[in-house]
Amino acid sequence: MNVIETNNLTKYYGKIKGVEDLTLSVKKGEIFGFLGPNGAGKTTTIRTLLGYLTPTRGSATIFGRNIEDDIVEIKREVAYIPGDLNIYSHMTGKEFLNYFAALRNREMTLLNELLVIFDVPLDRKLKGYSKGMKQKIGIIQAFMDDPEMVIMDEPTSGLDPLLQQKFYDFLIKQKKRGKTMFLSSHILGEVDRVCDRVGIIRDGNLIALEDVETLKSKRGKKIRLKIKEKPETFAGPKDMKVKDGWIEFIAINDIDSWIKKFSKYTIQDLVISDFSLEDIFIHYYED
Amino acid sequence: MQDIFRFRIAIQTILDYKKTTITLTLLFMLISVMYAGMFPAFKEPLEEMGETGLFDSFSNFFGPATFDMATYVGFLNLELYQIFWMIILGIVIGFIAASIVSKEIEGKTIDLLMSNPVSRKQIVFEKFIGLIPMTLIINFGTMLAVIGITIVIGEELDFGNLFLTHVASVPYFLAILGIAILISVIINEKMKASITFIALLMGMYVIETMSKTVPDYESIGVVSITHYFVPYDTLKFGDFNIGSALILICVTTVCMVISLIYFEHKDITV
Repeated sequence: MNVIETNNLTKYYGKIKGVEDLTLSVKKGEIFGFLGPNGAGKTTTIRTLLGYLTPTRGSATIFGRNIEDDIVEIKREVAYIPGDLNIYSHMTGKEFLNYFAALRNREMTLLNELLVIFDVPLDRKLKGYSKGMKQKIGIIQAFMDDPEMVIMDEPTSGLDPLLQQKFYDFLIKQKKRGKTMFLSSHILGEVDRVCDRVGIIRDGNLIALEDVETLKSKRGKKIRLKIKEKPETFAGPKDMKVKDGWIEFIAINDIDSWIKKFSKYTIQDLVISDFSLEDIFIHYYED
Repeated sequence: MQDIFRFRIAIQTILDYKKTTITLTLLFMLISVMYAGMFPAFKEPLEEMGETGLFDSFSNFFGPATFDMATYVGFLNLELYQIFWMIILGIVIGFIAASIVSKEIEGKTIDLLMSNPVSRKQIVFEKFIGLIPMTLIINFGTMLAVIGITIVIGEELDFGNLFLTHVASVPYFLAILGIAILISVIINEKMKASITFIALLMGMYVIETMSKTVPDYESIGVVSITHYFVPYDTLKFGDFNIGSALILICVTTVCMVISLIYFEHKDITV
Protein backbone atom coordinates (compact mmCIF):
# COMPACT_ATOMS: atom_id res chain seq x y z
CA MET A 1 0.00 0.00 0.00
CA ASN A 2 1.25 3.45 -0.85
CA VAL A 3 1.13 6.06 1.85
CA ILE A 4 2.25 8.99 -0.28
CA GLU A 5 1.52 9.22 -3.97
CA THR A 6 2.41 12.25 -6.01
CA ASN A 7 1.53 12.80 -9.60
CA ASN A 8 3.46 15.48 -11.50
CA LEU A 9 3.48 17.57 -8.36
CA THR A 10 4.82 20.99 -9.28
CA LYS A 11 5.40 24.15 -7.31
CA TYR A 12 6.63 27.40 -8.78
CA TYR A 13 7.23 30.53 -6.71
CA GLY A 14 6.19 32.98 -9.38
CA LYS A 15 8.66 32.15 -12.12
CA ILE A 16 11.14 30.40 -9.86
CA LYS A 17 10.99 26.63 -9.92
CA GLY A 18 10.68 24.93 -6.56
CA VAL A 19 9.90 21.40 -7.70
CA GLU A 20 8.68 20.15 -11.06
CA ASP A 21 6.67 17.13 -12.18
CA LEU A 22 7.49 15.06 -9.14
CA THR A 23 5.99 11.60 -9.38
CA LEU A 24 6.84 9.18 -6.62
CA SER A 25 5.27 6.92 -4.07
CA VAL A 26 6.19 6.01 -0.55
CA LYS A 27 5.13 2.61 0.73
CA LYS A 28 3.66 1.85 4.10
CA GLY A 29 6.28 0.75 6.62
CA GLU A 30 9.34 2.01 4.81
CA ILE A 31 11.87 4.67 5.56
CA PHE A 32 12.13 6.82 2.48
CA GLY A 33 15.14 9.04 2.04
CA PHE A 34 14.77 12.21 0.03
CA LEU A 35 18.20 13.33 -0.99
CA GLY A 36 19.54 16.44 -2.56
CA PRO A 37 21.81 19.40 -1.90
CA ASN A 38 20.48 22.59 -0.35
CA GLY A 39 18.14 24.38 -2.71
CA ALA A 40 17.28 21.28 -4.75
CA GLY A 41 13.60 21.41 -3.81
CA LYS A 42 13.39 19.03 -0.84
CA THR A 43 11.77 21.50 1.52
CA THR A 44 9.43 22.80 -1.19
CA THR A 45 8.24 19.24 -1.82
CA ILE A 46 7.64 18.58 1.85
CA ARG A 47 5.84 21.89 2.39
CA THR A 48 3.64 21.30 -0.61
CA LEU A 49 2.77 17.79 0.60
CA LEU A 50 1.85 19.16 4.00
CA GLY A 51 -0.33 21.99 2.72
CA TYR A 52 1.91 24.94 3.56
CA LEU A 53 2.19 25.68 -0.16
CA THR A 54 -0.48 25.27 -2.82
CA PRO A 55 0.72 23.15 -5.76
CA THR A 56 1.03 25.03 -9.05
CA ARG A 57 -0.12 21.86 -10.80
CA GLY A 58 -0.18 18.12 -10.28
CA SER A 59 -1.64 16.35 -7.31
CA ALA A 60 -0.76 14.23 -4.33
CA THR A 61 -2.49 11.96 -1.87
CA ILE A 62 -1.45 10.90 1.60
CA PHE A 63 -3.23 7.86 3.04
CA GLY A 64 -5.52 8.10 0.04
CA ARG A 65 -6.65 11.62 0.90
CA ASN A 66 -6.07 14.53 -1.43
CA ILE A 67 -3.64 17.07 0.07
CA GLU A 68 -5.66 19.99 -1.24
CA ASP A 69 -9.00 18.90 0.20
CA ASP A 70 -8.25 16.96 3.32
CA ILE A 71 -5.10 18.33 4.89
CA VAL A 72 -6.50 18.56 8.43
CA GLU A 73 -7.54 14.90 8.39
CA ILE A 74 -4.16 13.95 6.92
CA LYS A 75 -2.40 15.69 9.78
CA ARG A 76 -4.13 13.50 12.33
CA GLU A 77 -1.92 10.66 11.08
CA VAL A 78 1.09 12.56 9.79
CA ALA A 79 3.51 14.49 11.97
CA TYR A 80 6.21 16.86 10.79
CA ILE A 81 9.64 17.93 11.96
CA PRO A 82 10.51 21.15 10.09
CA GLY A 83 14.06 21.72 8.95
CA ASP A 84 14.28 25.17 10.44
CA LEU A 85 12.81 24.33 13.82
CA ASN A 86 11.34 27.31 15.63
CA ILE A 87 9.48 26.76 18.87
CA TYR A 88 7.55 29.14 21.12
CA SER A 89 10.43 30.54 23.15
CA HIS A 90 8.23 31.89 25.95
CA MET A 91 6.96 28.43 26.88
CA THR A 92 8.69 25.78 28.95
CA GLY A 93 9.27 22.40 27.34
CA LYS A 94 6.40 20.98 29.35
CA GLU A 95 3.97 23.78 28.40
CA PHE A 96 4.86 23.33 24.76
CA LEU A 97 4.29 19.57 24.79
CA ASN A 98 1.03 20.00 26.74
CA TYR A 99 -0.21 22.57 24.22
CA PHE A 100 0.52 20.30 21.28
CA ALA A 101 -0.91 17.26 23.06
CA ALA A 102 -4.13 19.24 23.55
CA LEU A 103 -4.20 20.16 19.84
CA ARG A 104 -3.75 16.52 18.82
CA ASN A 105 -6.43 15.49 21.32
CA ARG A 106 -5.49 11.85 21.70
CA GLU A 107 -3.36 9.68 23.91
CA MET A 108 0.37 10.42 23.95
CA THR A 109 1.36 6.76 23.93
CA LEU A 110 5.05 7.24 23.11
CA LEU A 111 5.73 10.34 25.21
CA ASN A 112 7.34 8.62 28.17
CA GLU A 113 9.53 6.43 26.01
CA LEU A 114 10.66 9.44 23.99
CA LEU A 115 11.45 11.48 27.08
CA VAL A 116 13.77 8.68 28.23
CA ILE A 117 15.61 8.54 24.88
CA PHE A 118 15.68 12.26 24.21
CA ASP A 119 16.16 13.74 27.62
CA VAL A 120 15.24 17.47 27.65
CA PRO A 121 14.90 19.93 30.55
CA LEU A 122 11.09 20.12 30.58
CA ASP A 123 10.84 22.88 33.17
CA ARG A 124 13.18 25.23 31.34
CA LYS A 125 11.89 27.90 28.97
CA LEU A 126 12.47 26.97 25.33
CA LYS A 127 14.43 30.16 24.74
CA GLY A 128 17.13 28.66 26.97
CA TYR A 129 17.32 25.47 24.90
CA SER A 130 20.41 24.71 22.85
CA LYS A 131 20.02 23.77 19.18
CA GLY A 132 20.34 20.09 20.07
CA MET A 133 17.69 20.32 22.80
CA LYS A 134 15.31 22.07 20.40
CA GLN A 135 15.85 19.35 17.86
CA LYS A 136 15.14 16.74 20.51
CA ILE A 137 11.88 18.35 21.56
CA GLY A 138 11.00 18.66 17.87
CA ILE A 139 11.41 14.91 17.55
CA ILE A 140 9.42 14.27 20.74
CA GLN A 141 6.44 16.37 19.62
CA ALA A 142 6.33 14.62 16.25
CA PHE A 143 6.34 11.07 17.57
CA MET A 144 4.59 11.46 20.93
CA ASP A 145 1.12 10.41 19.78
CA ASP A 146 2.52 7.57 17.64
CA PRO A 147 1.41 8.85 14.22
CA GLU A 148 1.28 6.55 11.20
CA MET A 149 3.85 8.62 9.33
CA VAL A 150 6.40 11.27 10.22
CA ILE A 151 7.83 13.61 7.61
CA MET A 152 11.20 15.00 8.62
CA ASP A 153 13.22 17.74 7.03
CA GLU A 154 16.87 17.10 7.90
CA PRO A 155 16.01 15.85 11.38
CA THR A 156 19.48 15.10 12.68
CA SER A 157 21.01 18.54 12.23
CA GLY A 158 22.10 19.72 15.66
CA LEU A 159 22.20 16.24 17.20
CA ASP A 160 25.51 14.86 18.37
CA PRO A 161 26.63 11.49 16.93
CA LEU A 162 25.49 9.54 19.99
CA LEU A 163 22.00 11.00 19.79
CA GLN A 164 21.91 10.53 16.04
CA GLN A 165 22.47 6.85 16.62
CA LYS A 166 19.68 6.74 19.23
CA PHE A 167 17.44 8.51 16.75
CA TYR A 168 18.23 6.03 13.97
CA ASP A 169 17.56 3.15 16.35
CA PHE A 170 14.24 4.71 17.24
CA LEU A 171 13.33 5.14 13.56
CA ILE A 172 14.12 1.52 12.83
CA LYS A 173 12.04 0.43 15.81
CA GLN A 174 9.11 2.50 14.54
CA LYS A 175 9.54 0.98 11.10
CA LYS A 176 9.34 -2.50 12.57
CA ARG A 177 6.04 -1.46 14.13
CA GLY A 178 4.74 -0.69 10.64
CA LYS A 179 5.16 3.09 10.72
CA THR A 180 6.27 5.04 7.69
CA MET A 181 8.96 7.68 7.64
CA PHE A 182 9.92 10.20 5.00
CA LEU A 183 13.14 11.98 5.68
CA SER A 184 14.97 14.52 3.65
CA SER A 185 18.67 14.82 4.01
CA HIS A 186 21.85 16.00 2.43
CA ILE A 187 23.84 13.74 4.74
CA LEU A 188 24.35 10.53 2.88
CA GLY A 189 25.59 8.43 5.74
CA GLU A 190 22.21 8.92 7.33
CA VAL A 191 20.27 7.65 4.35
CA ASP A 192 22.79 4.87 3.90
CA ARG A 193 22.15 3.68 7.44
CA VAL A 194 18.40 3.82 7.85
CA CYS A 195 16.61 4.22 4.55
CA ASP A 196 15.03 1.48 2.46
CA ARG A 197 14.56 3.56 -0.63
CA VAL A 198 15.91 6.81 -1.81
CA GLY A 199 14.78 9.53 -4.18
CA ILE A 200 17.42 11.91 -5.43
CA ILE A 201 16.35 15.39 -6.40
CA ARG A 202 18.33 17.95 -8.33
CA ASP A 203 17.23 21.41 -9.45
CA GLY A 204 13.63 20.59 -8.63
CA ASN A 205 13.54 17.35 -10.61
CA LEU A 206 13.66 13.77 -9.40
CA ILE A 207 16.67 12.14 -11.03
CA ALA A 208 16.73 8.76 -9.34
CA LEU A 209 14.38 6.59 -7.33
CA GLU A 210 15.76 3.29 -6.14
CA ASP A 211 16.28 0.81 -3.33
CA VAL A 212 19.30 1.79 -1.32
CA GLU A 213 20.74 -1.72 -1.63
CA THR A 214 20.27 -1.88 -5.40
CA LEU A 215 21.82 1.50 -5.77
CA LYS A 216 24.87 0.45 -3.80
CA SER A 217 25.31 -2.95 -5.46
CA LYS A 218 25.34 -1.37 -8.88
CA ARG A 219 28.36 0.65 -8.11
CA GLY A 220 31.04 -1.80 -7.10
CA LYS A 221 33.93 -0.87 -4.84
CA LYS A 222 35.85 2.25 -4.29
CA ILE A 223 39.60 1.77 -4.34
CA ARG A 224 42.15 4.18 -2.90
CA LEU A 225 45.84 3.39 -3.00
CA LYS A 226 49.22 4.94 -2.47
CA ILE A 227 52.24 3.66 -4.39
CA LYS A 228 55.92 4.35 -4.08
CA GLU A 229 56.16 5.11 -7.79
CA LYS A 230 54.76 8.29 -9.25
CA PRO A 231 50.94 8.04 -9.11
CA GLU A 232 50.71 9.10 -12.74
CA THR A 233 52.55 5.97 -13.78
CA PHE A 234 49.72 3.79 -12.54
CA ALA A 235 47.69 2.35 -15.40
CA GLY A 236 44.25 2.86 -13.94
CA PRO A 237 40.85 3.35 -15.53
CA LYS A 238 39.95 6.54 -17.41
CA ASP A 239 38.08 8.12 -14.50
CA MET A 240 41.02 7.61 -12.14
CA LYS A 241 41.79 10.56 -9.92
CA VAL A 242 44.94 11.55 -8.09
CA LYS A 243 44.49 13.52 -4.92
CA ASP A 244 47.18 14.27 -2.31
CA GLY A 245 49.25 11.36 -3.58
CA TRP A 246 46.26 8.97 -3.39
CA ILE A 247 44.99 7.20 -6.47
CA GLU A 248 41.23 6.87 -6.44
CA PHE A 249 38.94 4.95 -8.77
CA ILE A 250 35.89 2.73 -8.88
CA ALA A 251 36.15 -0.97 -9.58
CA ILE A 252 33.04 -2.63 -10.92
CA ASN A 253 32.96 -6.40 -10.43
CA ASP A 254 36.62 -6.89 -11.28
CA ILE A 255 38.51 -6.55 -8.04
CA ASP A 256 40.59 -9.58 -8.77
CA SER A 257 42.20 -8.15 -11.90
CA TRP A 258 42.97 -4.92 -10.10
CA ILE A 259 44.63 -6.67 -7.18
CA LYS A 260 46.83 -8.56 -9.66
CA LYS A 261 47.73 -5.30 -11.35
CA PHE A 262 48.71 -3.74 -8.00
CA SER A 263 51.39 -6.41 -7.51
CA LYS A 264 53.47 -4.70 -10.15
CA TYR A 265 53.81 -1.63 -7.95
CA THR A 266 55.12 -1.01 -4.47
CA ILE A 267 51.98 -0.48 -2.39
CA GLN A 268 52.31 1.91 0.52
CA ASP A 269 48.67 1.95 1.52
CA LEU A 270 45.43 0.49 0.22
CA VAL A 271 41.77 1.05 1.07
CA ILE A 272 38.97 -0.90 -0.57
CA SER A 273 35.55 0.24 0.54
CA ASP A 274 31.91 -0.12 -0.38
CA PHE A 275 30.73 2.46 -2.74
CA SER A 276 28.89 4.78 -0.39
CA LEU A 277 25.79 6.70 -1.32
CA GLU A 278 27.96 9.74 -1.14
CA ASP A 279 29.95 8.49 -4.09
CA ILE A 280 26.77 7.71 -5.97
CA PHE A 281 25.52 11.11 -5.09
CA ILE A 282 28.63 12.81 -6.41
CA HIS A 283 28.29 10.65 -9.50
CA TYR A 284 24.72 11.87 -10.07
CA TYR A 285 25.60 15.45 -9.51
CA GLU A 286 28.62 15.41 -11.74
CA ASP A 287 26.58 14.36 -14.74
CA MET B 1 -15.14 18.69 13.95
CA GLN B 2 -15.47 18.81 17.71
CA ASP B 3 -11.84 19.96 18.01
CA ILE B 4 -12.85 23.41 16.83
CA PHE B 5 -15.04 23.84 19.88
CA ARG B 6 -12.25 23.06 22.28
CA PHE B 7 -10.66 26.44 21.52
CA ARG B 8 -7.17 25.30 22.44
CA ILE B 9 -5.45 27.96 20.34
CA ALA B 10 -7.73 30.64 21.80
CA ILE B 11 -6.96 29.47 25.35
CA GLN B 12 -3.24 29.48 24.58
CA THR B 13 -3.56 33.02 23.19
CA ILE B 14 -5.23 34.14 26.42
CA LEU B 15 -2.44 32.53 28.46
CA ASP B 16 0.24 34.07 26.23
CA TYR B 17 -1.18 37.54 26.87
CA LYS B 18 -1.93 37.08 30.56
CA LYS B 19 0.88 39.35 31.74
CA THR B 20 0.18 41.92 29.04
CA THR B 21 -3.50 41.98 30.02
CA ILE B 22 -2.73 42.53 33.70
CA THR B 23 -0.14 45.22 32.95
CA LEU B 24 -2.34 47.11 30.52
CA THR B 25 -5.39 46.89 32.78
CA LEU B 26 -3.43 48.33 35.71
CA LEU B 27 -1.92 50.99 33.48
CA PHE B 28 -5.26 52.16 32.10
CA MET B 29 -6.84 52.03 35.54
CA LEU B 30 -4.01 54.21 36.83
CA ILE B 31 -4.34 56.66 33.94
CA SER B 32 -8.09 56.99 34.45
CA VAL B 33 -7.67 57.52 38.19
CA MET B 34 -5.01 60.14 37.48
CA TYR B 35 -7.09 62.06 34.96
CA ALA B 36 -10.36 61.88 36.87
CA GLY B 37 -8.51 62.72 40.09
CA MET B 38 -7.12 65.90 38.50
CA PHE B 39 -10.59 67.26 37.80
CA PRO B 40 -11.18 69.10 41.13
CA ALA B 41 -7.97 71.08 40.58
CA PHE B 42 -8.87 71.96 37.00
CA LYS B 43 -12.53 72.73 37.57
CA GLU B 44 -12.21 76.48 38.29
CA PRO B 45 -9.56 77.36 35.70
CA LEU B 46 -11.63 75.48 33.10
CA GLU B 47 -14.77 77.38 34.03
CA GLU B 48 -12.87 80.66 33.61
CA MET B 49 -11.53 79.52 30.24
CA GLY B 50 -15.04 78.66 29.17
CA GLU B 51 -16.22 82.15 30.03
CA THR B 52 -13.51 83.72 27.86
CA GLY B 53 -14.76 81.70 24.88
CA LEU B 54 -11.51 79.79 24.47
CA PHE B 55 -13.35 76.49 24.00
CA ASP B 56 -14.85 77.73 20.73
CA SER B 57 -11.63 77.12 18.86
CA PHE B 58 -11.26 73.60 20.28
CA SER B 59 -14.82 72.69 19.51
CA ASN B 60 -13.86 72.25 15.88
CA PHE B 61 -11.78 69.25 16.82
CA PHE B 62 -13.66 67.70 19.69
CA GLY B 63 -17.22 68.64 18.81
CA PRO B 64 -19.94 70.15 20.99
CA ALA B 65 -18.60 68.19 23.96
CA THR B 66 -15.86 70.82 24.29
CA PHE B 67 -18.27 73.36 25.75
CA ASP B 68 -18.97 70.90 28.52
CA MET B 69 -15.32 70.57 29.48
CA ALA B 70 -15.68 72.36 32.78
CA THR B 71 -18.11 69.66 33.96
CA TYR B 72 -16.92 66.28 35.22
CA VAL B 73 -18.60 64.34 32.39
CA GLY B 74 -17.17 66.66 29.73
CA PHE B 75 -13.73 66.51 31.29
CA LEU B 76 -13.76 62.71 31.46
CA ASN B 77 -14.96 62.48 27.88
CA LEU B 78 -12.31 64.73 26.45
CA GLU B 79 -9.28 63.87 28.53
CA LEU B 80 -9.90 60.19 29.11
CA TYR B 81 -12.25 58.71 26.54
CA GLN B 82 -11.52 60.62 23.36
CA ILE B 83 -7.76 60.55 23.69
CA PHE B 84 -6.64 57.73 25.98
CA TRP B 85 -9.50 55.40 25.25
CA MET B 86 -10.29 55.66 21.57
CA ILE B 87 -6.85 56.51 20.25
CA ILE B 88 -4.19 55.29 22.69
CA LEU B 89 -5.96 52.09 23.78
CA GLY B 90 -7.08 51.55 20.19
CA ILE B 91 -3.44 51.74 19.08
CA VAL B 92 -2.24 49.43 21.87
CA ILE B 93 -4.84 46.73 21.21
CA GLY B 94 -4.48 47.03 17.44
CA PHE B 95 -0.68 46.93 17.76
CA ILE B 96 -0.89 43.62 19.63
CA ALA B 97 -3.57 42.15 17.34
CA ALA B 98 -1.70 43.12 14.16
CA SER B 99 1.21 40.94 15.26
CA ILE B 100 -0.88 37.95 16.31
CA VAL B 101 -0.51 35.93 13.09
CA SER B 102 2.44 37.77 11.53
CA LYS B 103 4.70 37.01 14.50
CA GLU B 104 4.06 33.28 14.04
CA ILE B 105 4.97 33.57 10.37
CA GLU B 106 7.98 35.81 10.96
CA GLY B 107 9.19 33.64 13.87
CA LYS B 108 8.35 30.50 11.84
CA THR B 109 6.48 28.96 14.77
CA ILE B 110 3.53 28.66 12.38
CA ASP B 111 5.29 25.63 10.84
CA LEU B 112 4.92 23.55 13.97
CA LEU B 113 1.49 24.95 14.83
CA MET B 114 0.18 23.97 11.39
CA SER B 115 1.68 20.50 11.67
CA ASN B 116 -1.16 19.72 14.06
CA PRO B 117 -4.62 18.73 12.83
CA VAL B 118 -5.90 22.32 12.91
CA SER B 119 -7.27 24.22 9.94
CA ARG B 120 -5.96 27.59 8.88
CA LYS B 121 -9.38 29.13 9.48
CA GLN B 122 -9.34 27.75 12.99
CA ILE B 123 -5.96 29.36 13.69
CA VAL B 124 -7.08 32.85 12.61
CA PHE B 125 -10.52 32.62 14.20
CA GLU B 126 -9.24 31.32 17.52
CA LYS B 127 -6.53 33.99 17.67
CA PHE B 128 -9.31 36.59 17.28
CA ILE B 129 -11.38 34.95 20.03
CA GLY B 130 -8.29 34.71 22.23
CA LEU B 131 -7.75 38.47 22.14
CA ILE B 132 -11.30 39.37 23.21
CA PRO B 133 -10.85 38.65 26.95
CA MET B 134 -7.88 41.02 27.10
CA THR B 135 -9.98 43.76 25.50
CA LEU B 136 -12.89 43.16 27.87
CA ILE B 137 -10.73 43.01 31.00
CA ILE B 138 -8.97 46.30 30.21
CA ASN B 139 -12.33 47.81 29.30
CA PHE B 140 -14.27 46.92 32.41
CA GLY B 141 -11.26 47.18 34.74
CA THR B 142 -10.93 50.80 33.69
CA MET B 143 -14.65 51.30 34.26
CA LEU B 144 -14.29 50.08 37.84
CA ALA B 145 -11.37 52.44 38.37
CA VAL B 146 -13.47 55.38 37.10
CA ILE B 147 -16.31 54.43 39.45
CA GLY B 148 -13.87 54.20 42.37
CA ILE B 149 -12.19 57.54 41.81
CA THR B 150 -15.53 59.27 41.16
CA ILE B 151 -16.76 58.14 44.56
CA VAL B 152 -13.48 59.20 46.21
CA ILE B 153 -13.46 62.74 44.79
CA GLY B 154 -17.23 63.02 45.32
CA GLU B 155 -18.17 64.07 41.76
CA GLU B 156 -21.48 63.28 40.16
CA LEU B 157 -21.63 60.70 37.40
CA ASP B 158 -24.43 58.46 36.11
CA PHE B 159 -22.88 55.02 36.56
CA GLY B 160 -25.52 53.48 34.28
CA ASN B 161 -24.36 55.75 31.47
CA LEU B 162 -20.75 54.95 32.32
CA PHE B 163 -21.47 51.23 32.02
CA LEU B 164 -23.28 51.81 28.74
CA THR B 165 -20.27 53.77 27.41
CA HIS B 166 -17.99 50.84 28.15
CA VAL B 167 -20.47 48.43 26.56
CA ALA B 168 -20.65 50.72 23.51
CA SER B 169 -16.87 50.63 23.23
CA VAL B 170 -16.88 46.83 22.82
CA PRO B 171 -17.93 46.87 19.11
CA TYR B 172 -15.35 49.61 18.52
CA PHE B 173 -12.54 47.45 19.92
CA LEU B 174 -13.84 44.38 18.08
CA ALA B 175 -13.58 46.36 14.85
CA ILE B 176 -10.02 47.28 15.83
CA LEU B 177 -9.24 43.58 16.36
CA GLY B 178 -10.81 42.68 13.00
CA ILE B 179 -8.87 45.29 11.05
CA ALA B 180 -5.62 44.46 12.85
CA ILE B 181 -5.99 40.72 12.23
CA LEU B 182 -6.65 41.35 8.55
CA ILE B 183 -3.37 43.27 8.40
CA SER B 184 -1.70 40.49 10.37
CA VAL B 185 -2.59 37.74 7.90
CA ILE B 186 -1.43 39.84 4.94
CA ILE B 187 1.87 41.27 6.23
CA ASN B 188 4.47 38.72 7.33
CA GLU B 189 6.64 40.96 9.51
CA LYS B 190 5.08 41.73 12.85
CA MET B 191 6.54 45.21 13.29
CA LYS B 192 5.52 46.23 9.79
CA ALA B 193 2.02 44.90 10.43
CA SER B 194 1.68 46.76 13.72
CA ILE B 195 2.95 50.02 12.27
CA THR B 196 0.61 49.66 9.30
CA PHE B 197 -2.27 49.35 11.74
CA ILE B 198 -1.24 52.49 13.65
CA ALA B 199 -0.91 54.43 10.39
CA LEU B 200 -4.36 53.25 9.34
CA LEU B 201 -6.04 54.15 12.63
CA MET B 202 -4.34 57.55 12.76
CA GLY B 203 -5.28 58.12 9.14
CA MET B 204 -8.92 57.35 9.90
CA TYR B 205 -8.83 59.63 12.93
CA VAL B 206 -7.37 62.50 10.92
CA ILE B 207 -9.97 62.03 8.19
CA GLU B 208 -12.77 62.07 10.72
CA THR B 209 -11.39 65.18 12.45
CA MET B 210 -11.06 66.87 9.06
CA SER B 211 -14.60 65.99 8.17
CA LYS B 212 -15.72 67.83 11.30
CA THR B 213 -13.62 70.94 10.75
CA VAL B 214 -13.76 71.44 7.00
CA PRO B 215 -17.39 71.96 5.91
CA ASP B 216 -16.96 70.50 2.39
CA TYR B 217 -15.54 67.24 3.76
CA GLU B 218 -18.37 66.51 6.18
CA SER B 219 -19.33 63.23 4.55
CA ILE B 220 -15.87 61.61 4.36
CA GLY B 221 -15.84 60.97 8.09
CA VAL B 222 -17.99 57.87 7.53
CA VAL B 223 -14.94 55.89 6.38
CA SER B 224 -13.41 56.10 9.84
CA ILE B 225 -14.33 53.66 12.59
CA THR B 226 -13.87 56.49 15.11
CA HIS B 227 -16.99 58.01 13.53
CA TYR B 228 -19.11 55.19 14.98
CA PHE B 229 -18.19 55.48 18.62
CA VAL B 230 -19.01 58.78 20.35
CA PRO B 231 -18.38 58.33 24.07
CA TYR B 232 -19.78 61.76 24.94
CA ASP B 233 -23.32 60.97 23.75
CA THR B 234 -23.46 57.82 25.84
CA LEU B 235 -21.65 59.18 28.88
CA LYS B 236 -23.71 62.37 29.11
CA PHE B 237 -27.10 61.40 27.74
CA GLY B 238 -27.10 57.62 27.89
CA ASP B 239 -27.54 57.46 24.10
CA PHE B 240 -26.46 54.13 22.71
CA ASN B 241 -26.47 54.27 18.94
CA ILE B 242 -27.39 50.75 17.84
CA GLY B 243 -26.89 51.61 14.17
CA SER B 244 -23.29 52.64 14.81
CA ALA B 245 -22.67 49.49 16.86
CA LEU B 246 -24.05 47.38 14.02
CA ILE B 247 -21.78 49.10 11.51
CA LEU B 248 -18.76 48.33 13.73
CA ILE B 249 -19.84 44.71 14.05
CA CYS B 250 -20.20 44.56 10.25
CA VAL B 251 -16.67 45.97 9.86
CA THR B 252 -15.41 43.27 12.24
CA THR B 253 -17.25 40.51 10.40
CA VAL B 254 -16.13 41.62 6.94
CA CYS B 255 -12.49 41.94 8.07
CA MET B 256 -12.58 38.50 9.69
CA VAL B 257 -14.19 36.82 6.68
CA ILE B 258 -11.58 38.34 4.35
CA SER B 259 -8.83 37.32 6.80
CA LEU B 260 -10.05 33.71 6.89
CA ILE B 261 -10.30 33.44 3.11
CA TYR B 262 -6.98 35.17 2.50
CA PHE B 263 -5.09 33.07 5.03
CA GLU B 264 -6.64 29.85 3.71
CA HIS B 265 -4.95 30.41 0.34
CA LYS B 266 -1.71 31.96 1.46
CA ASP B 267 1.58 30.17 0.76
CA ILE B 268 3.52 29.78 3.99
CA THR B 269 7.12 29.91 2.81
CA VAL B 270 10.27 29.56 4.87
